[in-house]
Amino acid sequence: MYEIIEGIAEAARLIITLDPGVMSIAARSIIVSFTATVAATLISIPLGAAINFGTFRGRTSLINLIQTLYSLPTVIVGLLIFLLISRVGPFGFMRLLFTPTAMIIAQTVLVLPIMTGLTISALSGVDTVIRDTLHSLGATRLQFLANVMKEARFAILTAVAVGFGRAISEVGAAILVGGNIMASSFSGSTRTLTTAISLETSMGNIPQSIALGTILLAIALGVNLVITRMQHR
Amino acid sequence: MIECIDVAKRFGTTAVLAGLTARIEAGEIFAIIGPSGSGKSTLLRLIDLLDTPTEGAIRVGGADAHREPEQSLAVRRKMGMVFQKPAVFNTTVYENVAIGLRFRGEGMAAIREKVEDVLRMVGLAGYEERRARTLSGGEMQRVALARAMVIEPEVLLLDEPTANLDPVSVALIEDLIFRLNRDRGTTIVFSTHDMYQGQRLAHRVGVLMKGVFAQVGTPREVFTLPASREVARFVGVENVVDGVVAAGENGTSVIDAGGIRIRAHSPFGAGEAVSLCIRSEEIRIAATSGDTPGRNSLPGTVTSVVPRGPFSKVTVDCGVALSSILSWKAADGLGIGEGSRVVVSFAPESVHVVRRG
Amino acid sequence: MQRRTIFAVAAVMVAFLLICGCTGTTTDPTPVEKQQLRIATTTSLDDTKLLNHLSSIFEEQHNAEVLIISAGTGKALEYGQRGDVDVLMVHDRAREDTFLADGYGINRRVFAYNFFILVGPESDPAGIKGMTPEEAFSTIREKGMADENIVFVSRGDASGTHSKEQAIWKGAGFDYAKDIQGSGDWYIEAGTGMGATLTMANEKEAYTLSDIGTYLAYKGDLDLVTLVDEGDILLNVYCAMQINPEKYPDVNSELAKDWVNFMISDDTQKEIASFGVDKYGQPLFYAAQNDWAKIGVTEAEVSVPIA
Repeated sequence: MYEIIEGIAEAARLIITLDPGVMSIAARSIIVSFTATVAATLISIPLGAAINFGTFRGRTSLINLIQTLYSLPTVIVGLLIFLLISRVGPFGFMRLLFTPTAMIIAQTVLVLPIMTGLTISALSGVDTVIRDTLHSLGATRLQFLANVMKEARFAILTAVAVGFGRAISEVGAAILVGGNIMASSFSGSTRTLTTAISLETSMGNIPQSIALGTILLAIALGVNLVITRMQHR
Repeated sequence: MIECIDVAKRFGTTAVLAGLTARIEAGEIFAIIGPSGSGKSTLLRLIDLLDTPTEGAIRVGGADAHREPEQSLAVRRKMGMVFQKPAVFNTTVYENVAIGLRFRGEGMAAIREKVEDVLRMVGLAGYEERRARTLSGGEMQRVALARAMVIEPEVLLLDEPTANLDPVSVALIEDLIFRLNRDRGTTIVFSTHDMYQGQRLAHRVGVLMKGVFAQVGTPREVFTLPASREVARFVGVENVVDGVVAAGENGTSVIDAGGIRIRAHSPFGAGEAVSLCIRSEEIRIAATSGDTPGRNSLPGTVTSVVPRGPFSKVTVDCGVALSSILSWKAADGLGIGEGSRVVVSFAPESVHVVRRG
Repeated sequence: MQRRTIFAVAAVMVAFLLICGCTGTTTDPTPVEKQQLRIATTTSLDDTKLLNHLSSIFEEQHNAEVLIISAGTGKALEYGQRGDVDVLMVHDRAREDTFLADGYGINRRVFAYNFFILVGPESDPAGIKGMTPEEAFSTIREKGMADENIVFVSRGDASGTHSKEQAIWKGAGFDYAKDIQGSGDWYIEAGTGMGATLTMANEKEAYTLSDIGTYLAYKGDLDLVTLVDEGDILLNVYCAMQINPEKYPDVNSELAKDWVNFMISDDTQKEIASFGVDKYGQPLFYAAQNDWAKIGVTEAEVSVPIA
């Protein structure tokens, strides 16, 4: 019990004094996951729209597949990306393994299914009568897509928030492709909140873990707050 | 203005419209009435190019957009549609109404002027910045109507526009439809299950049954001279009696309806299977046979007296069941109740004869 | 109203990000692209912070960035075999020999050594204090099978330490796969690095094999004590080697060469010999420079720089 209290006290000190070690890890987590979310958004929204409004064979099966991939284990994604970007892998020449870029790629792949799936849900959730109205008003294809997305904007933003939440909370992929490196430069290191908590706890550095954990929790809760607010619109 | 030529629409194996042919003239108000599921919405959607016919052609202003897809945007932009379910976008009233104009690339100043104009017309002046989703059902439907009107379409299609609305909104919208047609000459096609609404507003009515127009004509024609027993039943003719022409010449026939002989004016010859349509208002009830020559007089027994507003509907069994509408006073005056023996009478002119089958 | 809330939350997150970013990314000095050196190493070298200490010296001297991937000898060898790193630093002689023979590694140099120790709870329920390593292991096994309070925590991760542990079991006459693994609740495989394994053993009041360097680095937090520290088999020799640029032309072989040479340079050897003395009272590692005969390697391996 004493260890926990002592740990919390020390953690508070680390956070309040903006301890550089802790802060750089937090910043890295946010940057990596944010970039991954943006990348995934740029892909999943057009992709989701294409699938939702498309008519092609196997469309339902594709949607089912995407929904199954929601629960893709993070370590599997990590393993997959690892095999692809390792020097002996097909993309080895890019020397991406053990870099923050690798983590961004892995997290993008990780959240892509859920963001695409939720975008599809959001778009299909737009009432048929709204879609009919748009067609009836003489919308071009582009005007139609833009306005349906506008109607679904809150659900789509929820998808983005969910994606970010998943990305920043995962540890399996980040450790496998990042290597949990603490280097002397910001961009050479690949230690994030999750991988750092994992390491520090197993080594018994409780105050560090608590500090990092508190920040991660705050971020996750913040994201969830945004999500619930959106859903009430 | 709108021509439907042999239009059929099937969903899977179900045929909703089959061999439907009709013409709707420019500048008229045309009401499509019919039982639920008869295909009224489907027909409107086909006209508005929201769906394609399985067979047949639809021409709007001479152009068949289903056959010539390049025309489709141009044709669609000539038409506006209001749906049964109020469809407003999750934004302000102003944005809702302006959207059609934005699609057409109009300038901000022009849009502002037109939108404010049309909002005034539908009685929603000052509602510009309200969030459309927070309005009442009737208000939302008026926004939808404004949105369709502001683009100044040549044709306005409305699918049961006042269904589920309060009477005040219904009256407002009906008034708008009427004025739109009168002031701008917009061709208006609307569907309704309220046949009295059809009667009030329309120049012509089409009765859609079993995938085709069973009858198209003025409201008076449809309601008093139904073309078939099904149409008769639908437009509220209470008394439809089936029979066979026993003898007919010079336009007068005697019809044998299960043993009862009825005289009517009809062009049919002996042996024809027919249905007789007699409106309740045309049937008189008396205690005894008044013996007016030429009238059909049938004795019978009262089987029920049912109140209907300030009237009573009296059903008499005189070999066939016939109903009459009387005011309470008249009914009381006759002293009739269940079981009373009365004489039912009606003129041959009141009998509308249609071919059966 | 709700739009404002969303703005507020977003603004807070951006502000937070800026704070973290500004305080965390302290001195990122270079406009010039720094070279990067990737090293895969055992956890025992990393957990003691020896490599951190040495790498900052190296980084200054060579204006490079050293990325240390701490994994355990088995994983490190795997990374080396795949060409994902430039340098390996491990401590398993037999597997190093195979690695070199297979042509994946070149220019091995030995730079440090220390000893393994068998640590356990002060109460020593199995009574192994002072025994030889092989005897101690046998005793732990025998007594552990009978008494559920006697537990041995293995690294269980194909690391150099794990290899050494297996060698001791073999020396004691056991078949590792049949007699030790899965033979009972007394034997636990942690699957983690040295520091984490020590923490676990501490938690469970169990016995474990550790290199002395990591143990000393963690001693302050542990209740475990040294019980067995004598025996030739406990020798622990660390080497550094380049990944063969002929197999993987992309590796940074210049910098890798510099690093390996750096490890056997006189200054570094002195650093190694003195590392941890002021903090722990004794060195965590011994410099290999002068003791090559004692530890059974050639003089060339400890002193001849790579050309």
